[in-house]
Amino acid sequence: MADIFEVDNVSFDYEGIPALRDFSLQIQQGERIALLGANGSGKSTLLRILDALYFPVKGAVRFFGRELTERQIRDDSFSLDFRKRVALVFQNPDVQLFNPTVFDEVAYGPLQLQWSKADLVRQVEETLSSMSLLHLRDRTPYRLSGGEKKRVALASVLILDPDVLLLDEPTAMLDPKSQSLVVDLIQQWKGSTKTVVTATHQLEIVEDIADRVVVMDGGAILASGTPHDILANADLLLRANLAHAHRHSHGSVVHSHPHRHGHTHDHDSHEQE
Amino acid sequence: MHIPDGYLSPSTCATLYAFSAAGWYSALRRTKRAFATRTIPLISVFAAFSFVVMMFNIPLPGGTTGHALGVTVAAIVLGPWASALAVSLALAIQALLFGDGGITTLGANCFNMAIVGSFVAYGVYRLIASGAEISSKRRITAAAVAGYVSINVCALLTAIEFGIQPAFFHDASGAPLYAPYPLRVAIPAMMIGHLTFAGLAEAVISAGMVSYLLRSDSRLISVPNHSSPDLAPGTVQTRAGWGRPLWWAVGLLLLCTPLGILAAGTAWGEWSAGDLANGHARAQISVASGNHEPPALIPPGLQKLASLWTAPFPGYAPGFIKSPFLGYLLSGMFAVGLFVMTSLIAMSIGRKWRRREASS
Amino acid sequence: MAAARGLFLSRPSFIGKTILGFTRGLSEALVSEKFARRSGFLQSLDPRVRLVGVLALVIAAVACRKLQGVAALFLVASFIALLSSLDLWSLAKRVWIAVLIFTGLIALPAVFITPGAVLWTSPALGISISAPGVYSAAILILRVETAATLTATLVLCTPWIQILKALRSLSLPAEVVTMLTMTHRYLFLLMETAKQMFESRESRAVGVLSGPDRRRMVGQTAGVLFSKSMELSQDVYLSMVSRGFHGDVYLLHECRLASRDYAVLLLFLATGFVAVWMGR
Repeated sequence: MADIFEVDNVSFDYEGIPALRDFSLQIQQGERIALLGANGSGKSTLLRILDALYFPVKGAVRFFGRELTERQIRDDSFSLDFRKRVALVFQNPDVQLFNPTVFDEVAYGPLQLQWSKADLVRQVEETLSSMSLLHLRDRTPYRLSGGEKKRVALASVLILDPDVLLLDEPTAMLDPKSQSLVVDLIQQWKGSTKTVVTATHQLEIVEDIADRVVVMDGGAILASGTPHDILANADLLLRANLAHAHRHSHGSVVHSHPHRHGHTHDHDSHEQE
Repeated sequence: MHIPDGYLSPSTCATLYAFSAAGWYSALRRTKRAFATRTIPLISVFAAFSFVVMMFNIPLPGGTTGHALGVTVAAIVLGPWASALAVSLALAIQALLFGDGGITTLGANCFNMAIVGSFVAYGVYRLIASGAEISSKRRITAAAVAGYVSINVCALLTAIEFGIQPAFFHDASGAPLYAPYPLRVAIPAMMIGHLTFAGLAEAVISAGMVSYLLRSDSRLISVPNHSSPDLAPGTVQTRAGWGRPLWWAVGLLLLCTPLGILAAGTAWGEWSAGDLANGHARAQISVASGNHEPPALIPPGLQKLASLWTAPFPGYAPGFIKSPFLGYLLSGMFAVGLFVMTSLIAMSIGRKWRRREASS
Repeated sequence: MAAARGLFLSRPSFIGKTILGFTRGLSEALVSEKFARRSGFLQSLDPRVRLVGVLALVIAAVACRKLQGVAALFLVASFIALLSSLDLWSLAKRVWIAVLIFTGLIALPAVFITPGAVLWTSPALGISISAPGVYSAAILILRVETAATLTATLVLCTPWIQILKALRSLSLPAEVVTMLTMTHRYLFLLMETAKQMFESRESRAVGVLSGPDRRRMVGQTAGVLFSKSMELSQDVYLSMVSRGFHGDVYLLHECRLASRDYAVLLLFLATGFVAVWMGR
C-alpha cells in the first residue's frame, strides 16, 4: 500500500499560538484513521494542512510523494487533480454550504473543476437522490436542519468521487438519528483506494469508522493504536481530555473512575473514597 | 437617508447612476487587486454584516435611539474602495428585498452613502489618526469624528439632491414633480435629524467597534495597504499622491455645475446687447448696480463686438437639449473632457520633444 | 424584584426594538416562498421578463410628468399584483399603508408652502393650501406607491436566486452576482446570530444600564459580530478553495425564453412607453 500522505515534522502556528508541533504521521492508501482529541488538540489544523489549505511553517507534507506547497497548489493542473481527489468536510456546515440552494451547492464542485455542463444536472440529481436529498434540491441552506445540512455537505464532496475523505467532527451537534446516518455513510464509503481521515472527540463512533486511532493533544501525538486498545486505556483518555473522572455513589459507597459517555460499565470493584 | 423611488427625477437618477457605476467599476477592480481570491467571501460576508449593523437600534444621549450605517468601520477596516463595494451590496439588497430605498434611486443612495460616505470616513479617520499608536484613544476619537462627519456629508448630499428637484423639474403651474422642497427647506430639514441623531449613532457604533477591535484584534485596524487583514501591525501612514482625490473632486464639482441655474438673473457685468435693450433685464441690472440706471443707448463698441462670435452652445445648452439641468451637466463634462484631451496631447507632445532633445 | 423590574423596563428598550427588527427581517426569508409558489401572472413568466418588465414600469412611473399617467400606472401595478395572487390586504399591509404614512407626512407641508394658485385658506390659522402643492404631494405619493407596489410584487413572487440569475443574464458581472448571492445567503445567518446575542444580553440586563454602558454594550456586540463575520468569511474562503475555487466564477447557463414571455415583455415595455409619452 502506498503512502498517500506523509506528514514530516510539521509545525504550524495559528495567530501566534502553536497548533501543531513537530508532528509526524504516515497515512496509507485505503486506511481508515481516526484523529482523536479534544477541542484545540490540533485535529482541524492537521486536516486543513492535509487539504493544502494551510501550509506548514516548518517541516513538509507530501501527497503521493509530492510536497504540498503554496507554489505547487498554484499550478492549475495539479490543483485541479488534487481538489478532486482530496475532499474536506468542515465541522461547521454553514461554512461549507455557501451556495443559495442545495442543488447549486452540490453542483459547485463539478462546476469549479470544469466538468461538462451537459452531464452536470443529471449527475447532481443522481447524487442527491442517492442520499435522499432530492426533495430538498431548491431549499436554501438556512432552512435545513443540522442533519440535512451535514448530508448536503457530504453530497457536495462525494459527487466529485474523491480518493481521500477528510472529515472534521462529522457527527458534532447532530441528533442521534442523523449521527447514525452519517456513520453509516462513512462505513459504506470504502474501497482499496478510499482513504478516510476522521477528526472527532466522540469516542462512541470511533470503532465504527476507523481501523487505526491517533490520539492528539496539544498539537502532538499522544498515542496510536487500534480502536480497541485506545478505548480501553482509560488513563490515556483522561490525559487527552476525552474522558473525565466521574464520581457517583451507591448508597453509602462512593466510587470514582474515568468515565466516558455512551459507555456502560459494571460496578465490580468499588473503591472506597 | 435611503431615498425611495419617485423623489428624484429620471435625469438625476441617471446621472447619479453613472457616477456610481464608475465608482463600482473602479471599486471592483481595486478590491480584486487588493484581496485577490478572497474578495468574494470577504466582501459578501462584510456586506451581510453591514446590513445587520444597519438594523441595530443604538441608544443615544437623551434617551432616544438611532440607526447607523456602519460605513465608517467598513472604510477603516477594508479601505474605502472595498467598503464602497460592500455597503453598495448591502444597499442593493435593502432596496430590492426589503423595499428600503428605491431601485431608480439605488445609484443615488450608493453614491451618497457607500461611495462618498466611505471616502469621507476614510479621509477623516486618516487625518486624525495618522501617526497614532495602535491602541491609543486618538484612534477611537478619530473613528467617532469620521463617523459623524461622513454621515452628515451624506445627508448634505442627499439634501442637495432633494433640494434641486423643484427648480428643475416642475410642471407649467409650478408644481414640483419630484421632491417638493427647495434647497432652503430641504437642507435644514435633513441636516437637523442627522446632526443630532444619525450622526451620533454612527459615531457611537464606529467608536464602539474600533475600541473593541483595538482590544481584541488590533491587526485589523492598522492595515496601511488594505491588501489583507493579516498584515503585520503598523501605525497609520499618510499616503502621498493626490491624483485620485483630485479626480473625484472634479467629478463632484461637475455634479454641482447645474446649481448655477438656480441663481436668478444674469451675472453682473456679463450683459449682452439684448439685455441692455430689454426693459425687464434693465430693471434687474439697475437693482444689482446700486440703483444706477444702465445707459439708454447701447454702447456701439459693445454692439459691434457682441456679434463677432456666436457660441456653439449659447446659454450652456445646445439646441437639442431641452432640460437646462442636463445642458449644464453636458457642458461641464464636455469642457472637462476638452481640457483633459488638450493636456494629454500637450503632455505627449512635450514628452516627444524631450525625447528628441535627449537623443540629439 | 429588581430583576423583574429590570426585565420589565428593558422592553421596549433599544435591545427589544432591535430584536423585533431581526425577527421581522428573519421572517422575510420565508415570505417569498409562500407567494412564489402560488400560480399567477408574474409567476408564469420567465424571471428575466419579470425583472425587465417591472423595471420598465418603475422607470415609467418615475419619468411620467402627469398625475393621470402615474395614477394609471398605479392601477396597472395593482392589477398585476392581483393577477399574481397577491390579495389587496397583503399589499395594503406590506406596502400601501406604510408608504402613505411615511410619504404623506413628508409631502404634507408641501401642500401649504408651495407657491401658486390658492385653493383654500384657513381664516383661523392664516395658512393656505395651493393647487400646485396638492398636485405635487399627490404625484409624489402616487409615484412612490406605484414603484413600491411593483417592486414588492416582483420580490414576493420571485425567489432571490432567480432575480440574481435574471440580473446575470442582463450582463451584471459574474462576481457581483456571486457576491449578492453570498451576501443574501449569510444575511439571515448573521441576523440570527445577532438576534441571539441581543437576547442573551437582554436577559442579563438586570436593572437598567447607564447611557454610556448601553452604548458600550452595543459597540461590543457589533464588535463580536464583526469578529465572527471575519472568521466566517475566512472559513467560507477555505471551503471554496477546498472545492476547487481559484478566482473565476462559473455559473450554470440559462434556458431560453418562450414566445409568451416575449409577448408579455413587449406589453410591459409598451405600457411604460405609452404612459411616459402621454405624460409629456
